[in-house]
Amino acid sequence: MISAIYEFALTTGANRVVRGSRIEHVCGDPGLGPEKDYAYGMRIVTTALDALTTAVSGPTLFDPVHGASTAELARV
Amino acid sequence: MTTPLRVAHYINQFFAGIGGEEQAGVGVSFRDGAVGPGRALATAFGDAATVVGTIVCGDNFAAEQPDDAQRAIASHLGDVKPDVLVAGPAFASGRYGLACAHACLTATRLGVPAVTAMHRDNPGATSFRKSVLIVPTGESAMSMPAALEHVTRLATKLGRREPLNPAEVEGYLPQGNRRVWDRGRPGWERALDMLLAKLHGRPFVTEVPYNAPEKVEPARPIADLTRAKIAMITTGGLVRKGNPDRQVSANATRYHRHSVRDLEQLTPEGWEAFHAGYFNHIVNRNPNYILPLSFLRDLEKHGRIGGVHEYMYALPGVSTPVAVATGLGQAIARDLSTAGVDGCLLVAT
Repeated sequence: MISAIYEFALTTGANRVVRGSRIEHVCGDPGLGPEKDYAYGMRIVTTALDALTTAVSGPTLFDPVHGASTAELARV
Repeated sequence: MTTPLRVAHYINQFFAGIGGEEQAGVGVSFRDGAVGPGRALATAFGDAATVVGTIVCGDNFAAEQPDDAQRAIASHLGDVKPDVLVAGPAFASGRYGLACAHACLTATRLGVPAVTAMHRDNPGATSFRKSVLIVPTGESAMSMPAALEHVTRLATKLGRREPLNPAEVEGYLPQGNRRVWDRGRPGWERALDMLLAKLHGRPFVTEVPYNAPEKVEPARPIADLTRAKIAMITTGGLVRKGNPDRQVSANATRYHRHSVRDLEQLTPEGWEAFHAGYFNHIVNRNPNYILPLSFLRDLEKHGRIGGVHEYMYALPGVSTPVAVATGLGQAIARDLSTAGVDGCLLVAT
């Protein structure tokens, strides 16, 4: 799941949660200008694809901005 | 003193003393007065009611020949004309619980109020608690006395045509009905009392039960992304431009499946967002923000992924009840599984 509201997304039962940009533009940011916007969106999508190839044992956050896989969160 | 209510009691072949499983196929019969646990039921009612007759039916007969069974039950109810029907208690017996629920529905259709009792996990309860009044019991007949006390209390109210209080007050299984009700004290008082209790480690009862989120077994990771077929789902309310499919903007009851087979990206000429929960204008200028087709096509071209699945799925997530979303999600997952999709990106706004 790619979501800007990632804290909440982690409580829904989704095991691979990727931090998205903003609700209105989850995969990118028009404020960055076309090139950086696309690069950001691509970073989010590749993080998501990396998540699909990563073994997890519970809800796990994958943050494209602050590094690959961050600590797995305990179940709420 | 009010006249005692006339109660009809429904029980199965075992509690009627006919026999066990080997007799589960017996049809419907009637006996005057109380039979088996009906005697304890009568005692529990005290002066409030008399068990005037007992309807007996084999659990298998009720399950396998439901029309005949309910017709016979209805006929006996028509002869007896009780003020209320009590069915069971069935405790954890699944077929008995289902049969009790059906008997109650038959009674209700005839204008006879009815109540039954069984364990909350009994299939009769999980299937019918919204349409049948069910008192929760323990798992076995060991809890008969408590069950009878509870069911007679409710049955008496029903028989006297008194209105019932909410489930949390009367103790029956919640039926999902919402009615405006005055709790008698302002909310801030109740909230502070609850907080104080929580801080002091005292028990308290929430007014809004919290349903813990489900725990899902994580899917195994994809072994080779370069050979993987990737699909996309969005709950951002993506629609074809002009919304020819008439997708709703909130409270989805279905999802929409669109082909992206011939598309390299989503363009504002072809697509837009119709979602009541967020500002749609930005996605309208670039729909790939909520369904990342442009990015996946790029990766597909460079051999980073095996391919993009030809179908994508869209719906508006806002105001869609979890129960509905669960069904929609399961249907989409089945579709993807059948199509041999290896992984999926779900973009949630």
